[in-house]
Amino acid sequence: MPFISQTRRQSDYNLFPSATPIVIDNGASYFRIGWAGENDPRVVFRNIVQRPRHKATGETVTVVGDHDPALLKYFDCTRSGPRSAFDSNVVYQFEIMEYILDFGFDRMGANGSQIDHPVLITECVCNPVYSRSKMAELLFETYGVPSVAFGVDAAFSYKYNQQLGICARDGLAICPGFTTAHVIPFVDGEPIYKGSCRTNIGGYHITDQLKQLLSLKYPHHMTKFTWEKVEDLKMEHCYIAPDYAAEARLFQNGTKEAEEKTRTWQLPWVPPAVEEGPSEEELARKAAIRERQGQRLREMAEAKRSSRINELENELQGLEFLLRQLERVEEEDIPSFLEETGYVSKQEVESAHAKAAQALRKAKGEPKGEQVGIEEKIDSSTNEKFPLINVPDDMLTPEQLKEKRRQIFLKTTTEGRQRAKQKRIEEELERERKNQEDEEQRLENPELYLEQLNIRYRELSEKVEQRKRLKTNGNHTNGGMGRGERLNAAQKERMRLLTTAAFDRGKGEDTFGANDEDWQLYKLMSKDNDDDDDGVDPDEAELIRVTSRLQEVDPTFVPKLELGLSQPVVEVPKFRPLTKEDFQVVLGVERFRCPEILFHPSLIGVDQVGLDEMAGVSIRRLSCETQEFEDRLTKSILITGGSSLLPGMTERLEAGIRMIRPCGAPICVFRASDPILDAWRGASSYASAYQFASQTFTRMDYYEKGEDWLREYQLRYTI
Amino acid sequence: MEAEVVEAELVLPAYFSFKRIQSHEKYPKGQSSARRFKHLKQIIQAENFQNYPPDEPNYVNIESPPSMHPCKRICDITGYEAPYLDPRTKLRYANTEVFKIIRSLPNDHVQRYLSLRNAAVVLK
Repeated sequence: MPFISQTRRQSDYNLFPSATPIVIDNGASYFRIGWAGENDPRVVFRNIVQRPRHKATGETVTVVGDHDPALLKYFDCTRSGPRSAFDSNVVYQFEIMEYILDFGFDRMGANGSQIDHPVLITECVCNPVYSRSKMAELLFETYGVPSVAFGVDAAFSYKYNQQLGICARDGLAICPGFTTAHVIPFVDGEPIYKGSCRTNIGGYHITDQLKQLLSLKYPHHMTKFTWEKVEDLKMEHCYIAPDYAAEARLFQNGTKEAEEKTRTWQLPWVPPAVEEGPSEEELARKAAIRERQGQRLREMAEAKRSSRINELENELQGLEFLLRQLERVEEEDIPSFLEETGYVSKQEVESAHAKAAQALRKAKGEPKGEQVGIEEKIDSSTNEKFPLINVPDDMLTPEQLKEKRRQIFLKTTTEGRQRAKQKRIEEELERERKNQEDEEQRLENPELYLEQLNIRYRELSEKVEQRKRLKTNGNHTNGGMGRGERLNAAQKERMRLLTTAAFDRGKGEDTFGANDEDWQLYKLMSKDNDDDDDGVDPDEAELIRVTSRLQEVDPTFVPKLELGLSQPVVEVPKFRPLTKEDFQVVLGVERFRCPEILFHPSLIGVDQVGLDEMAGVSIRRLSCETQEFEDRLTKSILITGGSSLLPGMTERLEAGIRMIRPCGAPICVFRASDPILDAWRGASSYASAYQFASQTFTRMDYYEKGEDWLREYQLRYTI
Repeated sequence: MEAEVVEAELVLPAYFSFKRIQSHEKYPKGQSSARRFKHLKQIIQAENFQNYPPDEPNYVNIESPPSMHPCKRICDITGYEAPYLDPRTKLRYANTEVFKIIRSLPNDHVQRYLSLRNAAVVLK
């Protein structure tokens, strides 16, 4: 059950006489303050302080304890995390302690010029004198308290339970707290600190462990795991397994019991609004619209095409008419005749005619097979365009020579272009043929084909990878390992050239560079490098082709990702819509894994004994003589403290202590009646006793007797 | 101050009648309190516990010794019994599926798992 603070201001401060002590249980988790003799503390709150800045005014204010998170929006909390006055279980930050005491006294309703009541405040076991004296100083100087007493909370709890009859005068108190866990033996009702022992593991560490485990397991929900929420989770769901290994095995095997023990926390989740598939009419309407648009487009295209065809036909007709006219006209009259039309010679007209015919045919959508024939025709026509080429040189004038050279150049370029085109066509035909063959092969024997492809793929990929590895090995060496060993072939070649060049010069001086030919060396080297790069391409191209073919053919094929290192193939997370399950946090093993650190602090890296062994250590430290005495101790073991509320604690402790004690020793473990409040209740009943005043010390005592006396000061618990 | 903040009495007032010296006088603004106060380690060091007779219990005396039992080895990711250790990341794992997960973790996750066990590499 999550703990709720009580911070309402009390109004009956003045009703209490000056002799009534105020009892404070100053714990690392909660601060409890109240009047002596009462059953419950009046004011309870978390022992933390925040100092945010007010957004509007900019001043830094102090906020103590838990508070309504909604009100915090007026404050800028970025630089102020919650701070505690405690370091482990010792108070060290007295400024924060002062704020807390301010708040506590204020909520008790204190008024008047000073706190006029004796104060009983709890501290940790064997509190260092520095902390104690600072606390005393704070109370005496700032608050004007007349007298102060310090006590240990675990001892108060034990005394209280002893009064209730749960435990005997001799016994052990095991107190797992917020930051530490103590075991204190009691003899004759007094705690023997010599035999006590402390491990630095507490509820704080359990919550921290749980928080981190959940954040690592569900990184995208990290913001939901706040400290308070995780603490609530811990209090509600964590338990202590009687035997860790057995429980873990249950979960590992996935048994039904494990299923029952798993708790799931559903985070708030809103399913995305599901769009209903557009209804039938919508679909029909959209289809009709699309159809109409398509129709319109087609009509427009048709119209354009037919108009273009008409144009071309007209042009063609015109040209044909011109040609026919030309045939009728005499040879000499051609130039003058053609001047009007804009064509220079008959060949031009013919070529223009041919082009127009070709375009017309394309527009009409006929196969391009005829194109080849037309090209040839163009070929022959262009040949005649260069009349001067075939004429021998000596018959030409200088201008004509220049003209001839130009024509030769043009001719060679056009011929080159045509040759390239030819080659391309041939290659395409070849590829088509190969593809068809491939298809046939696939159709007749799919499995064999697939196998062959796979084999080919593997070979190729290996080759490529190897080459890459060789290459990159030269570039990505780690650190300065022997440079010479890792160079690849190109770099080796380079080195060889350089060294031979240097070597060839002769044993005398170094005259490299004096001649210009020496620098040709570098040209050689860089060329070598390039060659190496080009050589890889055909293999890689082949690999790509085979990969794509495989992807088409084989549905189960997954291309190997080309990583530099041989890592296992990581599946790219497929994007699918988030489901309800994504927003569930499953608490399975964590439920009992986190509290386990109380018994095995080594799981967290703290090299100390766990709770069950601590009992053994404590008894050993007492160095009591008789077995019978030890039995008396183990017969009444009390568990108190906040962390003892975890279910399963008593059974586990009993089993653990039985392991350490000799066979047959009596072991009885009791849980305190109210592990959280018992410390305060014990202190309260102690303070209301008649002799309490003799156990306190006043301001005068503190100043006169000095620090040594303060160190020796111990409360006597049986009065 | 907004009305509801004042009403909820969230903020600690600056003046209390029952205090002889108010906080703002004692702790002038501007000085960070962290430097003012000694941490636990410094407190313990200043106490010089070795000067006192070892019989008397003091803060350092009563610390628990290291454990006698063999260390329990559980898997860092799942919490099951883990007999194996990954040499590259030094994480403990229970079986091969967990191993695959470990090898695909980003480095900061690995460090966080290790720091749960207080085994992370801390570079100072």
